[in-house]
Formats: sequence, C-alpha cells, structure tokens
Amino acid sequence: MPLLSPADQDKLRESFAEMTRSVRLLFFTQTLDCETCPETRQILDELPALSDRVAVEDVNFVLDKDKAQQYAIDRVPAIAVLGLDESSQVHDSRIRFLGAPAGYEFISLVQAILLVGGRESILTEENRQRVAAVDKPVTMQVFTTPT
Amino acid sequence: MAFANPNITAFAVEATEFPDLARKYHVSGVPKTVVNDEVEILGGLPQDAFIQQALSTLTSQVSTLTPPES
Repeated sequence: MPLLSPADQDKLRESFAEMTRSVRLLFFTQTLDCETCPETRQILDELPALSDRVAVEDVNFVLDKDKAQQYAIDRVPAIAVLGLDESSQVHDSRIRFLGAPAGYEFISLVQAILLVGGRESILTEENRQRVAAVDKPVTMQVFTTPT
Repeated sequence: MAFANPNITAFAVEATEFPDLARKYHVSGVPKTVVNDEVEILGGLPQDAFIQQALSTLTSQVSTLTPPES
C-alpha cells in the first residue's frame, strides 16, 4: 500500500518533471535500534518511481562510518541531498534531514529535491548576496515536528 | 541558504525523534532554528528578517535574538 495517494503521486511527478539536474538522496540507515528507519525507507522508496532524476542510495550507518563523517551525519535515519551535474559529478547541497521525512518534513524534502534539481531559489538577489558573503563554517538546525 | 553557500550546512531535525537534541537546544515550539549554537530563532519569519537574524553573529557578537511577538 503506497503512502502517497495517486493524486499526490501525479502532482509530484509533474513537479519533478521540471527538474534539470539529477538528485541523489543518500539514506543513512541501520537495521537495529532505529525505530523510524523502516518508515523513512518506505517514504524514500516511493520517490524514484516518480522521476528518472531522483535516486536513493543506501548508506549503512554502522559499517560506513567514513561516509557518515564526510556528510556530518551522527544519527539515523538521515538523508543527505546531493546534486549531480551533466558529467555525473556529485555536488553536496549540504542540506540534511534527520528523522523520518513525514508530514511537513516530506514537503521540505520535496522542496529540497526541486531546489537541488534546478528550480530557482526563493532567496531574493539581495539575500542571496548576503548569504554568499558568509566566509566561515555555519551549521543551521531547523527543528520541526511532523504535524 | 546552504545551497547558496558551501560554508553553510543545514539540518532539518525531527524534534520528537531526537529528544536529546530538542532538550539540548530548549525546543519548546517549532519551527525553531539554531545557528552555530549561538542564535535561536523561534517561529517563522519573513525572509529578510530571518536571514538578518540567522547571520547576525557572523558579523558581530550578539548572544541570542528573539523575533518580535507575533
């Protein structure tokens, strides 16, 4: 039984159809002691079916510590959103999701996929310049709940 | 913002799944944004105000900013 209704699937298919770059979702997961990993898996599994430009790659959080460190992931489930250019070079968007992307988080995940997939940023030009001027490492954490 | 600058990493954190983080950052309502463990922004803000607050400590040392009462 899919989580997304046929109508939602159609809507997403339409949105994803406008993507000009491919997106890879790195899914950090583990088999044991991760209550929401199966739910995350189920949500993510529905996306590649809606677009050739969306792929999901599993990363075993227990076995692949190097990758977890590379993407600054210290807990699961976690998703790192990566963009791929024409020559399949990976570009890390540095957008991460911690916890199952259910409810509002799912909408945020879709927005992130579309942004990395080539949609224009919602930042105004002035704000884009302000953000671009930041010259030291910044970590932003946005806390949300599914409802 | 992360997409616009390679120095910025953005985490969307599901607060109920990670109560340790929610406690550490005193998350009493959502959305709550924490920037470099220094700036806390509670609630949603218009884009200009959000970016101004989010970047505030990166240009000068201000401890904690809260948005105006909504």
